[in-house]
Amino acid sequence: MVMPYVLVIIVFVVFLLISNIVMSFTNSKGELTLENYISIFKDNVFYKTILNTSIWVFGSVSGQILLGLCVALLLNQITRGQIFFRSVILILPWATLDIVAGVMWKWMYNDMYGVLNDILVKMGLFKDYIPWLATPKMAMLAVIIANIWKGFCLSGMFFLAGIQTIPQELYEAAEIDGANAFGRFWNVTIPQLKPVLTTTLMLTVIWTINYFPLIYVMTGGGPNYGTETIVTYIYRLSFRFLEYNKAAALSNVLFLLVFTIAYLFTRKMAREVAA
Amino acid sequence: MKRSTKRKTMKSLSYILLFFIAIVVAFPFIWLILTSFKTYQEIYSYPIIYLPKSWTVEHYQKISSLDFKSYFFNSVIVGSGTMVFSLLIGIFPAYAFSRYSFRGKGMLLVSVLIFQMFPMIVFLVPIFKFLDWIRLLDTHLGLILAYIPFTTPITIVFLRSFFLSVPKSLEEAALIDGCTRTKAFFRIIFPVTLPGIAAVGVYAFLFAWSELLYSMSLLTSKSLQTIPTFLSVFVGQYQTRWGPLFAGSVFATLPPLVVFIMLQRYFISGLVSGAVKE
Repeated sequence: MVMPYVLVIIVFVVFLLISNIVMSFTNSKGELTLENYISIFKDNVFYKTILNTSIWVFGSVSGQILLGLCVALLLNQITRGQIFFRSVILILPWATLDIVAGVMWKWMYNDMYGVLNDILVKMGLFKDYIPWLATPKMAMLAVIIANIWKGFCLSGMFFLAGIQTIPQELYEAAEIDGANAFGRFWNVTIPQLKPVLTTTLMLTVIWTINYFPLIYVMTGGGPNYGTETIVTYIYRLSFRFLEYNKAAALSNVLFLLVFTIAYLFTRKMAREVAA
Repeated sequence: MKRSTKRKTMKSLSYILLFFIAIVVAFPFIWLILTSFKTYQEIYSYPIIYLPKSWTVEHYQKISSLDFKSYFFNSVIVGSGTMVFSLLIGIFPAYAFSRYSFRGKGMLLVSVLIFQMFPMIVFLVPIFKFLDWIRLLDTHLGLILAYIPFTTPITIVFLRSFFLSVPKSLEEAALIDGCTRTKAFFRIIFPVTLPGIAAVGVYAFLFAWSELLYSMSLLTSKSLQTIPTFLSVFVGQYQTRWGPLFAGSVFATLPPLVVFIMLQRYFISGLVSGAVKE
């Protein structure tokens, strides 16, 4: 019964991995070489993409986790209107196509006709319109905000699901012991939610590292490599510069990075389960 | 008394905050819909016009004249194909993972998860070459094949959690009554978990529905391309044609939105068991 799946694994994973590795060690003439890796580590853009990826992941993930947790806690408080709020807050951003989310935010960030500048100025938060996507730093902030919007619903769903499995008695016991709302949250919800939290954190980190369409649509990695992450750089290398072998090498570097992160997380989780 | 009033304030506060969050979250999408009904003059007006003065359907007419229907149907074909194949490939391993213990089971399950961890872009060039080699490049079947490795892992993980939620005693009773394993699966497990299976299927469908990178790169014939590619055409290097882009976006988002809302119960319950029982 497991055979079809095993076949898929063998055909795709092994074949793809090997062909990628082979590609990364050959040059355009088909000779065996290390020059692809060397040129990556000599490439200044590579270090920039590492830094950008870290900022992108840290900003997006912390925003998504925090917002997701807040929404899950709030949704858990209410009884009526659950379906409505869940549909609008958790489902809508999720169901929005990546490319649609990208163009939608790009249009809202438009410096002249964008609605965001208009609202922020009318609210008195900003004095003047700001060119969101024109400078590297603001562009990074802009794509991170858009990504939080697009992705917080998943952690929200995970957390909501996790919170609903916490036994009610624990809260009652804590209340009898005189714990206030914050105490109950800190001493009951958070520890009980820890396994779900770790899983969610791992998945969001990995997904965010690998997430490509939003940046591609909104900034294309620009301006001046300001939002270029490893993934968008791989895209640029293969489809703009047509340096497939260097792209393959960079893919393998990324591969190792993600694998290490996943390994560290799973080891931590295994230790927690054992403890 | 005091406790119940406290609880009530908590509840009302939650409602107020949720309303606020809901407005902020829904706003971009509402803005998208509003913009799709504005004339270009209103889209590029300064200061900004919030509600369209004269609701126009010119952008919707524009996309229909560009044969949006054909892109829509292509997306339906690719989405359904991906759904069917992922379920067919995933359902039995998932059942096996939930019921039998065998050597290497843990490793297989981990390998399922690991594939989830690799960015799709890493495999684009190898898959491109592979499809070219088996002569399925620029076909719907080829694109579906390319999606399978990305959808099956999550399919298996979710399906497994649904199967785990069915008590073993149910099928054991059937086995004692002389049912075969396969029969027991289709007679007992399958009907009980059908909503869950549907939810997982929809997930696979929507993965294919919204995927941009592969569909853009693997389908080069115009008559075969899917909605994301259609939309990407309006995003130019220097100029973006917002009107038709947003009209198409509305149509692209509505089907998944409706289905997701209808099946949300199963997604959330699937996630509960998926995230908690691992």
